[in-house]
Amino acid sequence: MRAFALPGSGCLVHLNNVSGGVLAGDRLALAVEVQEGAAAQITTTGATRLYRHRAGAADSEQRAIFLVANGGLLEYLPDAMIPYAGSRHLQQTEIRLGRRSTLFWWEVLAPGRLAAGERFAFERLRVKTAVYAGVRPVLQEDYLLEPAVKDPSATARMSRYSHTASFCVVQEGRPPAFWRALEDRLNELARERTRHGQAVWGASMLWSDGVVVRGLSMSACFIHETLIEFWGVARVAVTGMDAVPPRKVY
Amino acid sequence: MMPMRETALLRLLQLADSALPIGGTAHSFGIETLADEGSLTPSDVESFLSVHLEESGALEAVFLRRAYRGSDRRALSEELGARKLARESREASLKLGRRFAELVNGMVEHELLETDLHHCVAFGAAGAAFTIPVDVAAMAYLNHSIVGLVSACQRLMPLGQVSASKIVWNLKPAIVRASLSEEASCFSPFLELASMRHGSLETRLFIS
Repeated sequence: MRAFALPGSGCLVHLNNVSGGVLAGDRLALAVEVQEGAAAQITTTGATRLYRHRAGAADSEQRAIFLVANGGLLEYLPDAMIPYAGSRHLQQTEIRLGRRSTLFWWEVLAPGRLAAGERFAFERLRVKTAVYAGVRPVLQEDYLLEPAVKDPSATARMSRYSHTASFCVVQEGRPPAFWRALEDRLNELARERTRHGQAVWGASMLWSDGVVVRGLSMSACFIHETLIEFWGVARVAVTGMDAVPPRKVY
Repeated sequence: MMPMRETALLRLLQLADSALPIGGTAHSFGIETLADEGSLTPSDVESFLSVHLEESGALEAVFLRRAYRGSDRRALSEELGARKLARESREASLKLGRRFAELVNGMVEHELLETDLHHCVAFGAAGAAFTIPVDVAAMAYLNHSIVGLVSACQRLMPLGQVSASKIVWNLKPAIVRASLSEEASCFSPFLELASMRHGSLETRLFIS
């Protein structure tokens, strides 16, 4: 795997699954360490496809852990996850940030292969995400989607929308007033990008040390473009430098 | 389930009373946004709250139980704070927890509860202190929450008293199921977004 130099400093790494997707029984593990003062941008070469579960196989798993040392910067910007019909998968992501280190992270979940007529046809998807600033939890998500048991289209879940998107920026050590001001700026953009019935966006200060953006959309169209806009605003506010999208075709 | 002593039962009825003066009537936890944009109507309220119980209700019941069983309350509140992504709803939960703790501390005349806990964590700790069985405490807390949300719906949409009461009545099995959850998972992005966007409504009846 070859790392590309980023403008200024840092490197860009593409994660590539040569099997083309995650098969039943696969257990993938990713461990990344960003050293003190270093900057890393990590993305994927395409969507993460979760293939149909096979009788007798274990649920597929993808576990990732990121350690960012003091003053380090991590941008983890993977493509969407697409759970195919009949798939069963666990995704577990843990990100630990040292003092004054910075995180930009996003995640997009599709309902399946819409072009093939699949929409929430997967069996089970468990997603666990935890971000810590030092020992303090700043963002934790833990959800289980079982469309045949719990309707994703319920109003209290996703309503009529099919795709979810999340983006977060975290930097340990900033005062709450900084994050509140960034929340306001990101919410302004969220209002501009919200089209009821097509896509809805919102931003919120985290419990501490960061801001999260949520989005729901009727299609994959414009999700990445919009995430890049949120990332751009947050990156300038937090680092004073523009966001540089990964070298690839969106 | 252990039998409850009479005083424990009476204390529970007071702590879970919707009239408990902790400010619960000032919060809709994002429902005001849904009502404002027409995503929630009187005919949808019961099914909406049933799903809400499966997700957020079950999560809060898990944290209530952990507090009841003696886990570090501040660590629990920090963890729950990291899970509640929408600031207004998170702050509402903390405000209710603070006022609940202040009220309980005032009634028992000593510092029984910390005042920086989420409401469900404080309620679980109080349940243990007053020897209320944990299953009953979890059910009573969720019932209290649902009564508060139905009351918010009554102020936001044409929902009469009989209909509102019937919704609360019909949700009892869902309350019991959610209260018994041991799974700390929650998936409620549309309601989270409603809470995140609540501050931009032109007129608001509720703080959250």
